[in-house]
Amino acid sequence: MTAFVLKRIGFAVITLFAVLTLVFFIVRVLPGDPASVVLGDQASAATIEALRHKLGLDQPLIVQYLDFLGGVVRGDWGVSMATGRPVVQEVLNVLPYTIELTLAALVLGLAFGVPLGIWAAVNRNRIPDYLTRIVSLLGLSAPAFVSAVILLLLFAIQLRWFPVISSGQDTSLAGKLRDLTLPAVNLGLIMAAYITRVTRSAMLEVMSQDYVRTARAKGVPRNVVIWRHAFRNSLIPVVTVVGLYLGILIGNSVLTEIVFNRPGLGKLIVGALGQRDYTMLQGMMVIYTFIVVVINLLTDLVYGLVDPRVQYR
Amino acid sequence: MRHRANHSTKETQQSPDKRTKPKQAAPVRLLQGRLSVKKLRHTHLRTALLAGLVLAAGVSGAHAQGTSLRIAAAGNDLGTMDPFRATSTPDIGVVSMMFNGLVRITPGKATPEAIEPDLATSWTSTDDKLSWTFSLRDDVQCHDGAKLTADDVVFSLKRAASKASSSFFAEYAAFQTIEAADPKTVKIVLSKPVPGFLGLLAPYHGGNIICKAAAEKAGDDFARHPVGTGPFQFVEYQPQQFVKLKANEAYFRGAPHIKEVTYRYILSDSSRDLAYQSGEIDLSYGRQDPNWINRMKQLPNTKVVVLGPGELFNVHLNMTQKPLDDIRVRQAIADAIQRPALVKFKGAEIAREATSIVPAGYLGHADVGLAPYDPAKAKKLLAEAGYPDGITINSIQTTLPSMMNTMQAVQALLKQAGITLNLAPVDHPTFHAQIRQDLSQVVLYGAARFPVADTYLTQFFESDAIVGKPSAVTNFSHCDIADAEIKAARVEPDPEKQKALWAEAQKKIVEQVCAVPMFELLQLWAWKDTLDFGYPVEASLSLIPPVTEKTRFTN
Repeated sequence: MTAFVLKRIGFAVITLFAVLTLVFFIVRVLPGDPASVVLGDQASAATIEALRHKLGLDQPLIVQYLDFLGGVVRGDWGVSMATGRPVVQEVLNVLPYTIELTLAALVLGLAFGVPLGIWAAVNRNRIPDYLTRIVSLLGLSAPAFVSAVILLLLFAIQLRWFPVISSGQDTSLAGKLRDLTLPAVNLGLIMAAYITRVTRSAMLEVMSQDYVRTARAKGVPRNVVIWRHAFRNSLIPVVTVVGLYLGILIGNSVLTEIVFNRPGLGKLIVGALGQRDYTMLQGMMVIYTFIVVVINLLTDLVYGLVDPRVQYR
Repeated sequence: MRHRANHSTKETQQSPDKRTKPKQAAPVRLLQGRLSVKKLRHTHLRTALLAGLVLAAGVSGAHAQGTSLRIAAAGNDLGTMDPFRATSTPDIGVVSMMFNGLVRITPGKATPEAIEPDLATSWTSTDDKLSWTFSLRDDVQCHDGAKLTADDVVFSLKRAASKASSSFFAEYAAFQTIEAADPKTVKIVLSKPVPGFLGLLAPYHGGNIICKAAAEKAGDDFARHPVGTGPFQFVEYQPQQFVKLKANEAYFRGAPHIKEVTYRYILSDSSRDLAYQSGEIDLSYGRQDPNWINRMKQLPNTKVVVLGPGELFNVHLNMTQKPLDDIRVRQAIADAIQRPALVKFKGAEIAREATSIVPAGYLGHADVGLAPYDPAKAKKLLAEAGYPDGITINSIQTTLPSMMNTMQAVQALLKQAGITLNLAPVDHPTFHAQIRQDLSQVVLYGAARFPVADTYLTQFFESDAIVGKPSAVTNFSHCDIADAEIKAARVEPDPEKQKALWAEAQKKIVEQVCAVPMFELLQLWAWKDTLDFGYPVEASLSLIPPVTEKTRFTN
């Protein structure tokens, strides 16, 4: 187990390094640079050149790259080229909001997706199954920004239950939940749709196994068969999907954050892209990669908890 | 269907709220309906649902009104509050509430003729307009409590003129000396006359006066902790959320009626509109779209206001590249552009036909008589130029929807005259980078500048500003035919002769078709009809209605 984790961490470091290098060069290939964005559209070419010099953007790429790597090794992610403030601090300012939203969406996704998936599976090819499949297909197909606007129109404008500006600034628990509900539901619906579908198919597979039939035949109550015998054994695909889509969820949070006016990594990265803020983009890409790598590792470890037969080598 | 679920013990305790439950999202309703209670018991679903309902009951649409003003700007986040670095519309908007200039343009107007005293009570100049003396008010206090003196003014103007600290330094190049003669007197000596000189001292761009001691103490952090003398002072900044300002109770024109301003960044057009509609915003930045106007006008207690100055949209034609190097081809393009149709397309309430390559209302603007729409003549001109089968020209175009749809309309108009305009769509920062690298034959550019003809002519049509040169700004057409007039007008002391030179420059540029003027697009804002700015609001250089000490809610 320890060897397994160490090996995975080793791979993670290599992945991070590769991402770092790729991102460094990709952002610089994009036309436009932070100097011209910072100075606005009335600045002369000479002024822009002066700021490029100040930011070190006029140096050869390889020099910039080595400087950057040197900084990273020392734990220095540099300062944002647009705001002049440390990248790490800018990220830490908003990271909690993104984590909060992602976890809430995950909880909602599990709370809706797992029961719905089981429900559909035990009622295979009957009305509940059809309904669940249609609804989850809708959930998968509706773009996050469309469902977001619909949620706002319904719950913020018509019913006035929730605010349009879900800023997350209210620190009381009730206030926090109020701010979090609509964005989390918006993201959670997508998550729930994925989980429903994968739970359903995993359950169907397990339910057709011999041991389930045997359990039923010897008179084990239906609930026990579903939850103890079948569900536990269908968990591995569910955990895999949760792990995979958690990464996607963080990506999807961009649109959700913008429409619901929540602070977060998504808004930060959109801003950084618009401003061609190289240092910020580099830092953020590494953080995203790091999150995905950690989630994958955690997913692998959860397999062991779910299924004692899993061995780590 | 709901009957079975209703018997759950957890739910019966909450019966008053339960009736609202079917309005929850579809999957929830499904669960309640068909899934048996026993299966549900092991999930957190109902607990979560109930928590949501209890929370929801606590929200109300009401909010404290009267002294708190909530503004929505169309931005992702604050860039900077350093007035000499603020170039984006949302940044200029928040800066406009915190600072004064030596002079100002009457709030609600945006013409250089409306200049009136601000921090200076009076000023004199020598006959050659090169040496100026300003007397300062005695009763001005900085937000940090310090008294404003001539030192602060000198410090600010020097900062505005410095390449290291200002994005607008070029406009102050002719400021030879800036000195404090005594604590109440500032002397400025110019190396040559500057058109619209007083405008450079208005609180817009480099004319904002900041407080020296606070700025020196804050250093680079001044961008996040600005200190000025304006009606509102900085309190708090929340990343990606808002800037909070409070009333400057010691403001020299009197304490503001509004005690707190929340300046929010809401990037998404639809959520900005929704936040206004739900009552969370009092003053909201609009969208330059006729549909937006119609929709907002239907909201109760709402004023939808069209605000000057207009951004002029010109199509710049690269005169050095084939086939645009032939004047007949450029004239053909001008003849093929149907201005009234474009105005109708953009919305008659917010757009007006351009009359020159300089926006209307600018000091020195001249209605030069643009060529009327005549596609037949355009075809004839093309044939004469040796292109009887029409031409193909290329443009790099931003995907920003409002600019993209404009260019698509132009594309359709040109098509009728046998001109094929190819559009290469790229994202907005790429667009700005590539047009400055001289990569686009045809450039659509919309801009508002300080309302003096000189700024527009200098940045777009003088040869120094040609893209590719070190001194480049935004001369995309390589226009160099009116340099003499533009330069002469800049130093011409006689206002009438100066206007004649500017008119001549515009006439030449239009005749040579460096660019085809199309329309001017005005700013749009929506606000609660109880909000009274205390001034008639017609225009605003900072593109936001003037939030001043006189602004208040009337109820």
